[in-house]
Amino acid sequence: MATAAAVGVSLSAPIRTVPVAKAELLGRKPVRIGQMLPLQRMAAAAGRGRVVVVKGTQSSTPPDISEKVEESIKKAEEACAGDAVSGECAAAWDEVEELSAAASHAREALKANSDPLENYCKDNPEADECRTYDN
Amino acid sequence: MASCTIHTAPYSCSISRPAAKAFSLGFHQRHQQLIFFGSGRRSAVVCSAEKTVVIGLAADSGCGKSTFMRRLTSVFGGAAEPPRGGNPDSNTLISDTTTVICLDDYHSLDRTGRKEKGVTALDPRANDFDLMYEQVKAIKDGVAVEKPIYNHVTGLLDPPELIKPPKILVIEGLHPMYDSRVRDLLDFSIYLDISNEVKFAWKIQRDMAERGHSLESIKASIEARKPDFDAYIDPQKQYADAVIEVLPTQLIPDDDEGKVLRVRLIMKEGVKRFAPIYLFDEGSTISWIPCGRKLTCSYPGIKFFYGPETYFSNEVSVVEMDGKFDRLDELIYVESHLSNLSTKFYGEVTQQMLKHSDFPGSNNGTGLFQTIVGLKIRDLYEQIVAERAAASAAAAKV
Repeated sequence: MATAAAVGVSLSAPIRTVPVAKAELLGRKPVRIGQMLPLQRMAAAAGRGRVVVVKGTQSSTPPDISEKVEESIKKAEEACAGDAVSGECAAAWDEVEELSAAASHAREALKANSDPLENYCKDNPEADECRTYDN
Repeated sequence: MASCTIHTAPYSCSISRPAAKAFSLGFHQRHQQLIFFGSGRRSAVVCSAEKTVVIGLAADSGCGKSTFMRRLTSVFGGAAEPPRGGNPDSNTLISDTTTVICLDDYHSLDRTGRKEKGVTALDPRANDFDLMYEQVKAIKDGVAVEKPIYNHVTGLLDPPELIKPPKILVIEGLHPMYDSRVRDLLDFSIYLDISNEVKFAWKIQRDMAERGHSLESIKASIEARKPDFDAYIDPQKQYADAVIEVLPTQLIPDDDEGKVLRVRLIMKEGVKRFAPIYLFDEGSTISWIPCGRKLTCSYPGIKFFYGPETYFSNEVSVVEMDGKFDRLDELIYVESHLSNLSTKFYGEVTQQMLKHSDFPGSNNGTGLFQTIVGLKIRDLYEQIVAERAAASAAAAKV
């Protein structure tokens, strides 16, 4: 597993390393001061090393879906290079569309799951912390 | 399968298995069970008086957590969640009263299969309409089904999941009204018609952040799917009871951002249990700009239109809104001038819009009309429930 320092990712805190998915780090997204990726959860769960806060871009798609989208676009461009009106071309671009939609849903899901209080309250609406006053 | 009132002939009552026995997850299904005693011999026949109400929603592009569904389920109360403990890539949403099924689950060809045959998901050849009809009919009749799952991430067909009949079933996807048998099962149908310019603008917003995508690839994707879309999906709008058409605004010349939209709610006349909304005077043609002395709006303002029209040789009423809401009082002002909204209290539309102010479209006609359609569906559902209650009360007296 690559260390954060080795890949040149800028860290907000003093040097710490965490085992992270290589793809995520090499994911050429600019790392900015901003939100925390689910990476941190992973690191905490892994329990190894000390935790680094790796900040990601605002709308981060999970890397596997992101890769799939990229691949499918390349494949579609190849398929259509030959014959732009064939069924294969249409099917290839349809796949791109499907994967882009899946990517955007994944992004939304990430955003939706990012608030721990919301997640807790979904499961325990009667808890004291989750009281709401509607009237 | 008919309701109990029809089977008064003592010798031929079909026994439909009450779905109550199949429940274990706390669905609040209340069953009215009527027991008939045939003359001569004692045959106790138990019939279920509650059949699921089925709503169809046709819209392009993937299914699942779309904004319309969330608004719709919110009108009925509760938030729709994916089924707990099941396949995490399931497309189904379940709330207290509503279950939303994604019709992509009825693909007969998975992604590889479609690539081999060179067909898009829009093509009817990629979908199993027989299974769709069978299962929707079963759920409507109160029988739980094992519905396949189409995994959008892997592109494969996953093992099926159990779907228990809810009070309201929404089938959402590309082809809810394509097959005539399925169409006949629908109690109400909606078609979301997004114009090409708006679709392009929305897809740019959605995909430009994605690495690998460029303006050309987004354009190529739309163009490549267009022939199949026009041939198979678009014709469904003539069958819909309500069409929400989203067009570019006419208030801003050459607007290509798609932030201000012109949205038309096209409502078919003469649909059972559905009274179209209207502005000021039903049946007349009204052009209305609410901004003026009583209400100040910011640029570009709001413009309304209402009138009767013909749509694919059907009589329809159209309410159109162009512009966007900036403030709460604009919203409540507009709501107070619309009629036949089927709200339960003054300001309900505004309240629903505010509840989901983070959803896209909450400041323009898309959110407004989606919310209104949700209220209309609630009204339709309550009418059906009332009719059934009256029918079984009458039958019990017999």
